[in-house]
Amino acid sequence: MNGRNPSLTRREFLYRAAAVGGSSLLLNTMNAWGMGIASRVTAPPQLSGSGKGKKVVILGAGLAGLTAAYELGKLGYSVQVLEARAFAGGRCQTARKGFSLEELGGETQHCNFDEGHYINHGPWRIPLDHQSTLYYTRLFDVPLEVMVNDNDHAFVYLEDAGPLSKQRLRGAQIKADMRGHVAELLAKTVQDHQLDARLGSDDQALLLDYLVNEGALGKRDLSYKGRNGRGFAVNPGAGLAPGPGKPSDPLAFSDLLAAKVGKVYSAVQEFPMHATMFQPVGGMDQIPRAFVRRVGKTIRYNAVVERIRQAPDGVTIGYRDGASNKLATVRADYCLCTVPLSVLRMVDTDFSERFKAAVQAVPYAPVGKIGLQMRRRFWEEDEQIYGGHVLTDIKGINTISLPSGGWQQRKGVVLGYYNYSLDAIEVSALTPAERTEFALGAGEKIFPGYRDAFEHSFSVAWHRVRHSLGGWGDWSDETRRSAYPVLLEGEGRVLLAGEHLSYLTGWQAGAIESAWQQIERLHRRASA
Amino acid sequence: MNRPALLHAALALALLAAQPARAQGPDGKTLFAKNCAACHQANGRGIPGAFPALAGSQVALGEPAQAATVLLKGRGGMPAFSGSLDDAEIAGVLSYVRASWGNSAAGVSGAEVEALRTALQVPPPSRGRFGNKN
Repeated sequence: MNGRNPSLTRREFLYRAAAVGGSSLLLNTMNAWGMGIASRVTAPPQLSGSGKGKKVVILGAGLAGLTAAYELGKLGYSVQVLEARAFAGGRCQTARKGFSLEELGGETQHCNFDEGHYINHGPWRIPLDHQSTLYYTRLFDVPLEVMVNDNDHAFVYLEDAGPLSKQRLRGAQIKADMRGHVAELLAKTVQDHQLDARLGSDDQALLLDYLVNEGALGKRDLSYKGRNGRGFAVNPGAGLAPGPGKPSDPLAFSDLLAAKVGKVYSAVQEFPMHATMFQPVGGMDQIPRAFVRRVGKTIRYNAVVERIRQAPDGVTIGYRDGASNKLATVRADYCLCTVPLSVLRMVDTDFSERFKAAVQAVPYAPVGKIGLQMRRRFWEEDEQIYGGHVLTDIKGINTISLPSGGWQQRKGVVLGYYNYSLDAIEVSALTPAERTEFALGAGEKIFPGYRDAFEHSFSVAWHRVRHSLGGWGDWSDETRRSAYPVLLEGEGRVLLAGEHLSYLTGWQAGAIESAWQQIERLHRRASA
Repeated sequence: MNRPALLHAALALALLAAQPARAQGPDGKTLFAKNCAACHQANGRGIPGAFPALAGSQVALGEPAQAATVLLKGRGGMPAFSGSLDDAEIAGVLSYVRASWGNSAAGVSGAEVEALRTALQVPPPSRGRFGNKN
């Protein structure tokens, strides 16, 4: 292009990959291009030597703790896991019939969904980019199914979108029309010789070819008049009626611009929102269950850690047994603490003041979800929406997500809201019944059958869940600089691991990859 | 979470419902119920081991600027409320906390919070939130 090359160079691409994903993604990317650096994030570290005769106590049986227990056990370490809850998985939970959850300061909810129905109220999706999570689902034969994360046929419903407010738009309409109108504008700008200073004539011709195809423009007039991908007014079919069907009219460019709906979409999905997205068949807790089948004997449940003390030759953990309420201790050579920082900050430790300050520096994200069991799959039957997310700006809702399984069955569980931050705090102040009413009030603006079909709900506000106290570590640039390196280093015989010690915060892959990294560090210290 | 607010959301229905009271200044009690009670509890006693009590709290009852800074910037596990509450609302909820459950400290004015927001270089409330994460 006129001797210049504004496209991404390989170096720029690598730089950007490192910027979004950290150095491990950089390694992964280089590996994918055959640059000969073994990826460290698609498999656990290859550790030599043995841990025989050494004991490691692991605090927490979430995915970081379970990963460490499994891998350290293979190396010969004697492993003891202390888990505060009566089950493993940490925040990786699935609510189905029989599951109950108590929020601090709130009432206990019992999940009453029908047999076979569930909501993943913690992590709910596994991106293809997260090869670490997929390493264990493959290794442990956890069946996966596609999680529909990207559905252009799902609605976009905005209350504050100027001329397009309160309309049930389809994602495909917005994408087709925005891209069509923008392509037309650019093509006509080229045609009017307004880009001659920037683009040579060969490139102009190539660009016009591209725009005609990309925007579905008329070859001669370079105009966008709609395309069948945005949907028909009357779908084509048999015979003469409907026969060829009736095309639909595009939304006006000025309306789309005034509505700012273009901001809803990017042509390229954010990392790690790429298709293909997965979910385990039957619920996300199939992953911790698969770990428990392998390391379950090492886990002591209902063991709430209260005290961490170090000596030159070992670590002593004081914990309270939830059943007997008695205090007990475990001694070990090393400790891997996967307790969220939001909880660890309240544990009595003999960490240095510097380390304690780092633990306390990191706030945790308030996060809320609600599952609504519907007696009829009106989103499939009435609207032809199969999975995916309804995007909305209705305050406190953010997304209404339709189930990625049980297609065409009678019932289904809808995610009625997924809110963060201050929205999550506001909604969490409501009782479970009020939260349900809030979710139904929003949903029925978009789906007429929403309230009528509702049967049971189950909601969570993670910042009010004991032993979690938040959805994920909420880092700022400042705390990444000041606290993150301190916490990564650990102190003495205690190392930390979990999603909070990764740049994949809130993702299971963050917990797993952090555990991989920290057990390597632990093994190095233990072998020194 | 540091996501850019992509779209300005409509004001909360609850906030609209509370608007008649806005004429005399924000209703601190309503704001507290909506923004604070989920963790600190309606009785201001918090949950030991998780959420600090505000009844008798040295932070809440101390220098107004110190207490208002907690709301503007967050503290420990608590997020900042500067993005969702304006200066008058922060003053209203703080004044309510400082005068409830046996607390008896002087109220805080919106002008004080406004001056503090400027001094701390905290941006004005944006209110809108929209995103797709994790």
